[in-house]
Amino acid sequence: MMNVIRNSSKVVMWLFVLMICFTGCKSKKKAAEAARAAEERARIEQEANLRKQEEQRKKDAEEAARRDEEARQREMLSNAPKARLNQYFESIAGSSNVASANSSINEALTLFASPDAPVLIVISEEGSQKDYDKPTTIRQYLNYLKDTKNNANTISNVQVDSSGKITEVELRKN
Amino acid sequence: MVKASYIFTLLLSVCVLGSLSAQTAEISPERKRAIDSLALEKVRDLSKYISIIGNKQTAFSEATRVMDRAEELFAPESEMGVSSLNRKEISYYKVRQYFERLMALNYDRVTISWYNIHYISDLERQPDGRYVGVVTIYQRFEGTTEDGLMKYKDTTKKDITIYVERKKTQIAGRIVEFWDVLLGDIRVTETSS
Repeated sequence: MMNVIRNSSKVVMWLFVLMICFTGCKSKKKAAEAARAAEERARIEQEANLRKQEEQRKKDAEEAARRDEEARQREMLSNAPKARLNQYFESIAGSSNVASANSSINEALTLFASPDAPVLIVISEEGSQKDYDKPTTIRQYLNYLKDTKNNANTISNVQVDSSGKITEVELRKN
Repeated sequence: MVKASYIFTLLLSVCVLGSLSAQTAEISPERKRAIDSLALEKVRDLSKYISIIGNKQTAFSEATRVMDRAEELFAPESEMGVSSLNRKEISYYKVRQYFERLMALNYDRVTISWYNIHYISDLERQPDGRYVGVVTIYQRFEGTTEDGLMKYKDTTKKDITIYVERKKTQIAGRIVEFWDVLLGDIRVTETSS
């Protein structure tokens, strides 16, 4: 009887040890699972952050492209009369006959609020001091180009009214 | 008495020097160069206008318009000298009259070209503030009739007086100062074949 009791207490003790081991393993497993979950969460968060950053970068790039395009459009609009006028200057000065020069002059005059729109020609500039040639009108200047073929001045500034017609031109001697 | 006259002389010298320096308050060399070049450009413009007026292919309306523009280059009452290999004397005409005579020349083809355009006397500031100089040009004239019976050509050296003056005008409500270049008399100095 004593043997049975002694053996059973041994068994109980082993069972107890096994239980402790089992519990230990289980908590280790739980901890590992928790760590894995935390890692997964961190990875998901990181990926989400990267996605967010990437989206922001794309958004910024699109915004910058849109701003650039708007600026380009604005510049094109403000340069449009200047560029068109320059083309007319070249065409009139390069005309091989009076008829085609006159036709270009008439077309060019449609860009202006009046054929008497003033044309100022800067011959030199020092600081804020500008030296001008005698002011003329656009009609006379276009005829000057036709007569002399001397298209030596560059357009430095054009002023336009609310309807987009040129009201004044400033040229600069090269 | 000697002291007083010494002081008077000193004051007079200061005044004269001050006045001289005010008169010779020269513009910078860069600005002067721009004005020199502007004046030469006006002479070149005139040469092109003369060529258009003289050209028999130019329509009357165009020639008249160009005459108006050419006349605007000159100071009032300016005269143009005209010479010929066939006579000794040089005739002088008011510029408008010269242009009209040029347009009416009895040739079927007229070519006029100016070359070797240069200053023989630089633009110098005068006491009245104007700049005055002289530019020389060589003019090649050739006139022929269709049948070839009448043919004339010569080369003339001409001196052109140039006046440059600072003026003001109002443009769109603001004052703009500009250099007004005007051509004066054009004198014939040499004529050769």
